[in-house]
Amino acid sequence: MKHTAYGTRYSAFGLALLAFLAVFTSAPASDLESRVFEYDLKNGLHIIVYVDSSAPVVSTSAWYKVGSYDEPLGHTGLSHMLEHLTFKHTDIYKPGDFDRIVDSAGGNNNGFTSTYFTAYYEDFAKDRYEMAMKIEAARMGKCVFPDSEFESEHQVVSEERRLHDNYPAGELWEQFGATAQLVNPERNPTIGWSDDVRNFTVKAVRDWYTRHYNPANAVLVVSGDVRPEDVKAKAEEHFGKLKGTPVERRSYYDVEPKQNGERRITIRKRVRVPNLLIGYHVPGVRDSAWYAGEVAGGIIGGGETSRLYKKLVTELGLATGVWGGAGVSRDPSLFQVGVTPKAESLIPRIEQVVQSELDRAATELATERELQQVRNQVLAGQAFGRDNLFGMAYRLASNYILFGTWRQVTDYPEHINRVTAEQVRDYCRTYLTPENRTTGILVSAKESK
Amino acid sequence: MRHFRLQISDCRLPAPLCLLALGFCLLTSPLSALPLYRDSLSNGLVILTYEDHRLPTAVVSLVCRSGAACDPRDKAGTAAMMADLLTRGTATMSGDSVKSIVEFLGAGFSGSATDDNCGIDIRTLTKDLGTALDLMADAVLHPTFAQREMEIARSRMMSDARGIFDDPGSEVTVEFGKLLYGDHPYGRLGSGDTTSIPLIRREDIVAFHSTYFRPNNCYVVAVGDIKRKDFVAELEKRLGAWTPTPVPAFTETPLTMPDRIRVKLITRKDMNQTYVEFGHPGIRATDADMITTRLMSYILGGSAMSSRLGISVREEAGLAYDVRCWYDRNRLEGAFHATVQTAKPKEAIALMLRDIKLMCDSGATKKELEKAHNYYTGSFPLTYASTRGKLGQVQTMELYGYGMDWLDKFPDRIRAVTLEAVNKAAREHISPGRYWMVILGPVTKEDLGLTDVEWIE
Repeated sequence: MKHTAYGTRYSAFGLALLAFLAVFTSAPASDLESRVFEYDLKNGLHIIVYVDSSAPVVSTSAWYKVGSYDEPLGHTGLSHMLEHLTFKHTDIYKPGDFDRIVDSAGGNNNGFTSTYFTAYYEDFAKDRYEMAMKIEAARMGKCVFPDSEFESEHQVVSEERRLHDNYPAGELWEQFGATAQLVNPERNPTIGWSDDVRNFTVKAVRDWYTRHYNPANAVLVVSGDVRPEDVKAKAEEHFGKLKGTPVERRSYYDVEPKQNGERRITIRKRVRVPNLLIGYHVPGVRDSAWYAGEVAGGIIGGGETSRLYKKLVTELGLATGVWGGAGVSRDPSLFQVGVTPKAESLIPRIEQVVQSELDRAATELATERELQQVRNQVLAGQAFGRDNLFGMAYRLASNYILFGTWRQVTDYPEHINRVTAEQVRDYCRTYLTPENRTTGILVSAKESK
Repeated sequence: MRHFRLQISDCRLPAPLCLLALGFCLLTSPLSALPLYRDSLSNGLVILTYEDHRLPTAVVSLVCRSGAACDPRDKAGTAAMMADLLTRGTATMSGDSVKSIVEFLGAGFSGSATDDNCGIDIRTLTKDLGTALDLMADAVLHPTFAQREMEIARSRMMSDARGIFDDPGSEVTVEFGKLLYGDHPYGRLGSGDTTSIPLIRREDIVAFHSTYFRPNNCYVVAVGDIKRKDFVAELEKRLGAWTPTPVPAFTETPLTMPDRIRVKLITRKDMNQTYVEFGHPGIRATDADMITTRLMSYILGGSAMSSRLGISVREEAGLAYDVRCWYDRNRLEGAFHATVQTAKPKEAIALMLRDIKLMCDSGATKKELEKAHNYYTGSFPLTYASTRGKLGQVQTMELYGYGMDWLDKFPDRIRAVTLEAVNKAAREHISPGRYWMVILGPVTKEDLGLTDVEWIE
């Protein structure tokens, strides 16, 4: 895992963790080809089935190719607001029905929004998974948004936004991202900027739903103790009559202006623990260099034997925690290093040490042991990553949406195995440079002038 | 929580609630129908193995039945530091060497503590299980608690302890714990605080380990691609010489039920939302009506959307993203908690106090209980979903002495809970108007409109 998720209070902790695992681990290739099945309905709904009969359980999830990446200026957070409202009211379900049905059937359900997709899931005993199909079909095509329900849920989402406002480290993340990326919509928080959240309208939500929620813009993943032909038949029955309209996703692949010098922000809040984030513009997943970034991230900032941890925490005692690695983005993205300094006064020294280590990586070749450790971790992650049905659904769907194929799950280790020490060095030399750097610092308002 | 590149920052249902619900669900598995076995080594160390050959992986946990509640009075964090240091060096291997082996294999090796237990976990591919068991046994039998590693751990713990006050959700929980538990062992932070952590000395760590980390006070849980007989034999080889020693008895301090609502207000003008936590002494994990009480609290506040509190505070009034209540499940008397985060604390608190009192006075309905029955019995198969889930089930079952048939009978016990029993539990385990309450946010006493309360200065 490349990134250390910090904070345990917020709603997304578990899911964010899953997000990392989804990309940085993959299932053993040996038997996935015989366990994964794909279908397309005539209306464009893409279906992925993962068969695992080790327990009589099924995780059913619907994934929409819309997220904060797609939101226009002034409407950030709209996908997330819509996600909340799709639990309310459809042609046949009234507010509260989804949860009552799922709870009564002993299931789990939830929804979440990310940069590139919005997803919903229900976990049920296998004899009940068709209930999930029915719910998701209604959500896909039959939601209604009465004004009164919008107002109430708008307040709920505003409260969720306030949870972020009162978490200083979250503020650093938001503003660091928006400083590093000037144009690409990845700069926007998924929950939306406060002013945008305040000004949501029910009309905008309805329009967003109409535009993005249909079978041709969705992926259905059914994971667990199922027979693929049954899934296909049930999917046809519940989703087949919905009209599919392909949605063209606007690309922001090359919109970001070249960075020609370091950018810095300092946030002063009532905090007792300082925080340091450093980011560098790097290629996204559609560039083959991304894999070198994966390996570089493992060597530089992955775990307690990484170069940065050994230097900053173990050897010099300047920090209590450090992580680093490249992001998982369709567009050019950031390689990030996060440090928890022991004290604010140590931050300048820490910055020097970090850049010094990155400079070393840009000139010296990684050792064979370092490369092998990353490969071993990927292979172990493959196995551990199979332990959860929704986790597998997440891997299959997110890889399908981000990489265009679920087979990225099995291809990933091969790509990592092919990365050479020279490629890692060249990656660091090309991208991890001071002029390509953005630095964000969170320090105490009380102690700072 | 936000990950900049692949943001999964916003889900509709608060994830802690999902995890809480899942944690309870995990107790429903009928382990006797599963390949679960209980053996012991020649020194009495109990070994619970759960064979699960789906994947070439295994997780092994060595649990000590004494946790942070046994920390020296002024040295909170001792158990947590001891458990962490177990993974950071032995007589024959430095901490760096241990980490180097673990991370090279892509495995995981960590130590942690709760109020009731502490221990070490290792996660590995099956092919490396022998190496993993070597590391675990060496850690248990020959830890060095090296000063260098101890200072690194101390720095990390101090940072975490300070960080609690950078997160209002954590801060309000800590403050609530101080009020409710006072000098009770659960009143100390298991992870330590900024006063206690600097006081912990190496001899405290050594003493905790030698006193409590004994085979007669520990057990091993292993789940995954293992063979019971082979596994037990391998452990006998590695841990059979570990010597039992009598462990001191634990003296419990009774909790105080407040005679009214006693409120600690922390005003923070730079916030735009108020965090509230209130409650009173609850029950023990081993109390006879634990299941009944938890069913009652599920109906009352088990879900931010479909429980009574969820419907009134979130769904109808739109006052909060997350609102819930629950009972701790600890060896000693735990707490009944209710929490909310809201820009309108006056209104939210009023609704919560009303709904909780209503549950006590009037009880649940037949329909609500039926839904709760369905939820817990229906979610039973989900407990098979993960290795970690199985590990958690078995750890808890053994820690609280539920017995090998406990999980097998859990669904039946759920179905056997009657409406009368639920309503009796509400009457007996909810004390309306007698709460410890912490309010943290941009509000004053006047803003809150609370009457008949005592303010704690």
